[in-house]
Amino acid sequence: MFSYFKEYFDFRVLFICLALVIVGLICIYSATFDINNAANFHRQALWAGIGFIIMIVISFVPLRTLQRLSITFYFIAIATLVIILVVGSTVKGSKSWFGLIGLGGQPSEFAKITTVLAFASYISKTDVSISKVKHLFISLGIFAVPMFLILAQPDLGTTIVFFVVLLPLLYWAGASNFILVSILVPILTAFGALLGTTYFIIAVAIGAVLLYIFRENKFTVAVAFGIMLAIGLSVQVMYESMHVYQQKRISAFLNPEADPLGAGYNVVQSKIAIGSGGFFGKGFLKGTQTQLNYIPEQWTDFIFCVTGEEFGTLGASIVLGLFAALLLHALRVASISRNRFSSLAAIGIMGIFGTHIVINTGMSMGLMPVVGLPLPFLSYGGSSLVANMIMAGLLMNFYANRKEY
Amino acid sequence: MITDDKIDVSSRRRILTIVIIVVFAILFLRLYHLQLLSYSEFGKKSEENSVRVVIKEPVRGYMFDRNDRLVVDVGPAYTVTVTPASFDTNNLVFLSSLMQVDPAVIKERINRGRTYSRFSPVRILRDIDFKTLSKLEENLYLLPGVNYEVESKRLYPFGKCASHLLGYCKEITDEQLKQTGTVYQQGDLVGSSGLEASYETFLRGEKGYEFISVNSKGQLLGSLEEGRRDIPSKEGFDLILSIDFGLQAFAESLMTKYRGALVAIDPNDGGILAMVSKPDFDPAIFSGVTSSKVWTKLNTDPDKPLFNRATMTRYPPGSTFKMLIAAAALEEGIINERYRITCRGSFRFGNRIFKDVHVHGSVNVVQAIQKSCDVFFYQLILKVGLDKLNEYGRRFGFSKSTGIDIGEETSGLIPSAEYYDRVYGKDKWTQGNLVSLGIGQGEIGVSPLQMARYVAVFANNGTLIQPHAVNSIRNKRTNRIDIIDHKEIPVWLNYDVMRMIREGIRRVVEEPGGTGSLARISGIVSAGKTGTAQNPHGADHAWYVGFAPFDQPRIAIAVMLENAGYGGTKAAPIAGMVMEKYLFGELRRKVIKPVSAVIPRDTILLKTTEKGEH
Repeated sequence: MFSYFKEYFDFRVLFICLALVIVGLICIYSATFDINNAANFHRQALWAGIGFIIMIVISFVPLRTLQRLSITFYFIAIATLVIILVVGSTVKGSKSWFGLIGLGGQPSEFAKITTVLAFASYISKTDVSISKVKHLFISLGIFAVPMFLILAQPDLGTTIVFFVVLLPLLYWAGASNFILVSILVPILTAFGALLGTTYFIIAVAIGAVLLYIFRENKFTVAVAFGIMLAIGLSVQVMYESMHVYQQKRISAFLNPEADPLGAGYNVVQSKIAIGSGGFFGKGFLKGTQTQLNYIPEQWTDFIFCVTGEEFGTLGASIVLGLFAALLLHALRVASISRNRFSSLAAIGIMGIFGTHIVINTGMSMGLMPVVGLPLPFLSYGGSSLVANMIMAGLLMNFYANRKEY
Repeated sequence: MITDDKIDVSSRRRILTIVIIVVFAILFLRLYHLQLLSYSEFGKKSEENSVRVVIKEPVRGYMFDRNDRLVVDVGPAYTVTVTPASFDTNNLVFLSSLMQVDPAVIKERINRGRTYSRFSPVRILRDIDFKTLSKLEENLYLLPGVNYEVESKRLYPFGKCASHLLGYCKEITDEQLKQTGTVYQQGDLVGSSGLEASYETFLRGEKGYEFISVNSKGQLLGSLEEGRRDIPSKEGFDLILSIDFGLQAFAESLMTKYRGALVAIDPNDGGILAMVSKPDFDPAIFSGVTSSKVWTKLNTDPDKPLFNRATMTRYPPGSTFKMLIAAAALEEGIINERYRITCRGSFRFGNRIFKDVHVHGSVNVVQAIQKSCDVFFYQLILKVGLDKLNEYGRRFGFSKSTGIDIGEETSGLIPSAEYYDRVYGKDKWTQGNLVSLGIGQGEIGVSPLQMARYVAVFANNGTLIQPHAVNSIRNKRTNRIDIIDHKEIPVWLNYDVMRMIREGIRRVVEEPGGTGSLARISGIVSAGKTGTAQNPHGADHAWYVGFAPFDQPRIAIAVMLENAGYGGTKAAPIAGMVMEKYLFGELRRKVIKPVSAVIPRDTILLKTTEKGEH
C-alpha cells in the first residue's frame, strides 16, 4: 500500500499547494482583519477546503475520461463566456463575475484550463500534426475563441495569459521556431506602437529581422510580416482615437513611476511595502503599509507585498522558491509522461501558473506593468483558488498515470 | 511522446528549465534589490509615508415640520480620538484628568479600538465642552496619538418635543457593524429609534475622504496636493415632516400630568399632525455622549419614558370601539335603522349579569352610539359573532401594523376563535367571552395610532389611510424634493351605514345626553366617541377619538390616558382643545378645569366574578 502511494501519489504537488495556501491565508488575514473582521479570511479558508477535496478527486479520475471530456468542457466554458457577455453583471467595469446562486464565480479562470485541455486533446490525436497549416490554424482557433470572448469582457490580464501560454504549448507540440516568432512579433510591435512612433519603427525592424532569420518560405514571411504591421498600426490608430484619460491609463500602465499619486500609486506603495520589509520582515500584523491599507484591495492582486512586508526576504524567498519548484515539477511531469495529451496539458498548466506568478510578483515589485492577475494559491478569490487546485489535481493525476500511453 | 521521434523531449525540457531558472533568478534578484540593497530607502519612505486618508463625516440631514420650521438641527461637536499605535499608555492618567473621566473608560475604549486597527484613531469621548477642548489643545503636544475631530451632533430648537417620533442616534453596535459591511466604521453614530432609524439611509449622507500628509508619528503636516484628490462628504437628505410643531408643543403641554398618548392625524392624507407619548425623554441627551448612568436610568424607569405609547401600547379601546360593531351589524344587514332594543340597565347572559350605567329605555343604533348604551352592544355582538368582528376589525386596520414610517409599533389584537382555542383550550370558552368584546373590553388590544386611523375612516367617509410622519424628502445637492406616496385602502361601507354612524358620533359631542360634550369646539361642529377601558391592575384608562369639522374634516384625533379615569371627563377636553388650536390657530376656550362627576359614565367595570373567569 505504502509503496503504491510512493509510486503513484504526487506528494510534491500536495505539499507545495498546501504550503502556498497556508501562506496565502496568513497574508489575507493580516490584510483584512481590521477591515471586515477577517470575513475574507474565513471565506478563503472555506474555499481552500472545498478546493482541496476537488483536487484529490480530480487526481483519481481516469486519464482517458479526462481526455474524452475535455472537448465537452471546452464548449461548456465557451457557452458560459458568451452568456456572461450577454447578461453578466458588471463588477469593476468588467463583465466576468458570474452571479451564480449568490456566489461570484469567474468562468474565465476555468476557461483557461479547459482551453489547455482541449488544445492538448486535439494535438494528441494520431492524425494531427502541428506542422500542417490546417491543424495549426485549428489549434490556434481553439485559443482564439475564448481569448477574444475574454478580451471583450474586457479582461486584459487573462487575455495576456492565453497568449503567453500558447507559446510553450506550441513549442512543446513541436511547432517550428518560425511559428513561435510569428506569434511573438505582433505583441512586440503593439507595445512599440503604444510607446511612440520611434519605438514602433524599431519594433517593426526587429520583427522583420527575426522573421527573416527564422524564415521558411517567402509567402509565409510576407503573411506574418503583414499581420505584424496590421496589428501594430491598428493599435496605433486605436491609441490616437482614445480619450485622454484612457491614454493616461495606458501610459501609467507602461510607466507607473511617472504619476506616483495617480495611476501608479499602487505600484509605488507596493514597492515601498516590499522594500521596507527587509530580511526578516516587520512581523505578522505589524506591516505599516498593510495595516494602514495604503494599497487598495491588497488581499487580491497585491497579496505578495503583504508577504514581502511582514515576512521579509525570508518569507518572500520561500514563496518564490515554492513557485519555482511547482513549475519545474510540472515540466518534469510533462517530460516523463508517456501520454501526449497529459504531457501537453502539464506544459499548459505550467504556462498558466508561470504567467500568473511572473506577472503578479513582477507587478508587485515594479518590474511589470499593473495587470489584474491573482497570484496562484495566495490571492483572495474563490474561483481563482479552486481553479488552481483543479490544475494541481490534474498534475497529480498526470504524475500517477505517467506510465500510461 | 517518446513515440514521436521528431520531438526531442530532453532538449526542449532543458530549454524550458533554463527559461524558468532565468525568470526566477530575475525575480529573486529584484526581491533582494528591493529588500536588502534599497532597504534603507524604502524603510524610510514607509516610516514617513505620508499619505493618510481621513474620513470626513457627512452632515446629517435636517428635519422640518409641515410649516417649514427647522425642528431637528445640526451643530458642531468635538470628539477626542486616540490612535492606539502611537499612544503612550503612561499618559493615560494625565489624559483622563484633562477629560475628567475615569481612566478605565478611556482604556477600555482604546483596547476595543485596538482589536480593529492599531493605526486608526478611536473615538474615546464625544461632544466635549469648549473649556475641556481648550485644555486639551494646550496639552496636545505632550500627548502623541491624541487628537480631536469635529463631528456633528443633533440640536433641537423645540427642546423636549416629539422625542419618540424623532428618535435618536446611538453608537453603532458590533452586530450592526457586521451586518452593514463597509458603510459604517466603529464609533459611528447610527439612527436607532424613531425617524432617525427608519430614515437612516436618507439622513446619513455619504462619507468623504481627505488625503493628508502626516509624519511617522501621525501628526498632521498639511493637505496633500492642496486637496485636489479629496472627495468631499455629501450631506444627508432633509426630511419634511407632516407634524405641526406648534400643535405638537401645545398637545404635549396638555399631556404633561399624564401617562398616555395622543395622535392627531390629517384624515385626508394620513399625515401625522402631532404624536405625543408621555412621559418622555429629552432627545438632546443622546446627541453627544450618553453616559451609561443616564441610559440605565431611562431603561429601568418604571414609567418607561423611552416607550412610545402612541404606537406600542395595546389597551382595550372601551366604548370607542362601538362604531365598528355597529358598522359590522349594519353593513351585514343584521340590523337596520329601525332596529331597537329596550335597555333596562343590565344584560343577562347565562348566569352572568353585564351591567350598564344607566337605564336608557328604547334605543336605536344612532341613540345607542350617542348615549353609549352598553346593553345594546352586548346583544349586538352576539348577533355579529366573532368571525365578522375579526373581518371588520381588519378592515378598519386593527390586529395588524399600520405601516407608519417610524418603525416601532404593535399590531394589536382582536381575539379570534383560534386565539380563544389556544388560550382557553378548544371548547373551553363560550359566547359569553364575546359579550365584553361588544363594548371594546376583554382581550382586544389597540394602539392610539390605530384608533386615530380608525376614527379618520368616519371622518373621510370610508378610506383607511396610511399614517406617516414624513411628507417628503429633500435632496439638498440637486434641490429635488421627492413626495412620498402612501397607499389608501377603501373600507367599503354603505353610504347609509356611514351616515348613521356619523350621526351617532356627532350627537355624542353636539347633542344633550351625549358623552363627549367636553370635546365641543365653539363654532365648529365635530364628532367623537368617549371610552373608558377597564384595567385589572389599577384605575381605568381614558379614551377619546374624534374629528372636526364634521362636514370637511381636517383633523382626526385619538387620546389615551393611562389610569386617568373617564374618557368623557379626562380625554375629551384634551382632544377638543387640540382640535380647536389646530383649526383656529389659537385656543378660544378657557382651559377647562377638571370637572365633577356629573358627566355620565359611559361604561362600567364588569363584575369581578366575571373578570376572574376571563
